[in-house]
Amino acid sequence: MQWVVITGATSGIGLAVAQKLAAQGYGVLGVGRSADRCQQAQARIQQSYPQARTQYFCADLMQQRQVHRVADQLCAHLAEHADGALHALINNAGCVRGWYTTTEEGYEQQFALNHLAGFLLTYLLLPALQRGRGRVIITGSNSHKGARVHWPDVMLQHHYGPLRAYKQSKLCNLLFAAGLNSRLAGQGIRACAVDPGLVHTDIGNKDAGGLVSFVWGLRKGHGVPPDVPAATYAALCGQDAPPPALYYYDGHPRRYSRRVTEASANRLFELSERLCGIAYEA
Amino acid sequence: MKRNLRVMITGACGGLGRVLAGECARRGYWLFLTDIRQPDLDTLAQGLARRFGARADTWACDLTDDAAVNGLFAFIDARGLAFDMLLNVAGIDFEGGFLQRERQRLLDIVSLNIEATLRVTHAMLTRRRQGVPFYLVFVSSLASLYPMPLKATYAASKRFLLDFSIALRQELRGEGVRVLALCPGGLATTAEAMRGIAAQGVWGQVTTNRLERVARRTVDKALANRAVYIPGAINRLLARCGRLAPAGLVAALLHRRWQAARGHSY
Repeated sequence: MQWVVITGATSGIGLAVAQKLAAQGYGVLGVGRSADRCQQAQARIQQSYPQARTQYFCADLMQQRQVHRVADQLCAHLAEHADGALHALINNAGCVRGWYTTTEEGYEQQFALNHLAGFLLTYLLLPALQRGRGRVIITGSNSHKGARVHWPDVMLQHHYGPLRAYKQSKLCNLLFAAGLNSRLAGQGIRACAVDPGLVHTDIGNKDAGGLVSFVWGLRKGHGVPPDVPAATYAALCGQDAPPPALYYYDGHPRRYSRRVTEASANRLFELSERLCGIAYEA
Repeated sequence: MKRNLRVMITGACGGLGRVLAGECARRGYWLFLTDIRQPDLDTLAQGLARRFGARADTWACDLTDDAAVNGLFAFIDARGLAFDMLLNVAGIDFEGGFLQRERQRLLDIVSLNIEATLRVTHAMLTRRRQGVPFYLVFVSSLASLYPMPLKATYAASKRFLLDFSIALRQELRGEGVRVLALCPGGLATTAEAMRGIAAQGVWGQVTTNRLERVARRTVDKALANRAVYIPGAINRLLARCGRLAPAGLVAALLHRRWQAARGHSY
């Protein structure tokens, strides 16, 4: 049995992917912020697919202490049930914040969750990914096009804007995937990002605050149901060869921003390593 | 004046404390952070060091405990530390009907928002260096400007800080102590605070201040020797109206507003 880890797996795209992969016979390790929602999601999957092997873990991934804790739990679970091998890590958890808000570290929350959490979790799960010659799949967004990284003030402490911060974090997702590929190509690990399109989820309503909740309430109705993008994730997990492209939409490779360069990826790695207190091997 | 100020922040691990700490770190100030739990302080200090290369010392301390505060200042004295600025952020935000809350929880508001603030401020001022300005900031609230049904104890505790701040400013004017009272409206400091803002609808939206901007300007205004900082043009207007209208009328209007907001959220 192959195992996958999915963050943000209690609702929206993450839950749809968890259900789809559980149905296809993967062992699914879900991570969610609320203990109640974790329990509900696990019960829902077990009810639909009684054979499924699913385990949910509770962690607020924007707080690095909790990323460390849940990574230990995931590694222990994989060691016990999967010989320590992970087939795919799906860094999906994300948020939108209408206001400048910070984590325990004093980091801006969108940058901390949408980018740094996946950056750190991937690092902590590297041994399992190496063992499983696994894939890293990140939930990106086409809104990264036109965005740039504000290097001197990456957390936008000056001139914070919810969409600026969101788009920048989604550009970081692509830079992270590109940087991972250049660093880990020799180890059989492959990373890519998925553009889910406009999806009917609650991302803009969960503690987003400001006008974001209102605007998203109007906009999400035009989105497709979450199982539409979930098919792309399932295809990327299921194909024998690791995904060759960097960015996918609707099952196919898609063009991404020209700002995704090796130099920027390296710069983001350097910055993120410092902010997480880790060092990926070059 | 470009000098690396030495700043103590109480309540540093809360939503406002973290952003103020980040603002001071960005300016290159040397930080001394206190809050109630050491692991939270360690995490914040590490984050500030990684993000800004900031130097931040920490000491966990229950400011409502006299002996604990003596311990804090014994540590400071033993290290020979001297400060240029104190940001009194530690406080409890609290709402709910007076009779719907436990007696002890209500007393805790006075104990932390008022007593603890006086305790730290007094200890700090008696240790200030002579001949250089000392900057003192009290975090009051927009709520300090009116009597506030359903937030009666909290609002009155913030009123204490506002009046105290203005009086102390006058008292120590000749001694180089510069005192600022910060009176923010809503701030998106926690998930609950954000839900509270959302529950107030348009009112919540227009009276809410941007945390990062409030933090930046608070430090600017303290350095510029301002007395009171009410962030946001709408809040300043509300403050002025609040001063002109009879207190009974203001209380009646606010009571209606909070009841409506509570109907949405609780």
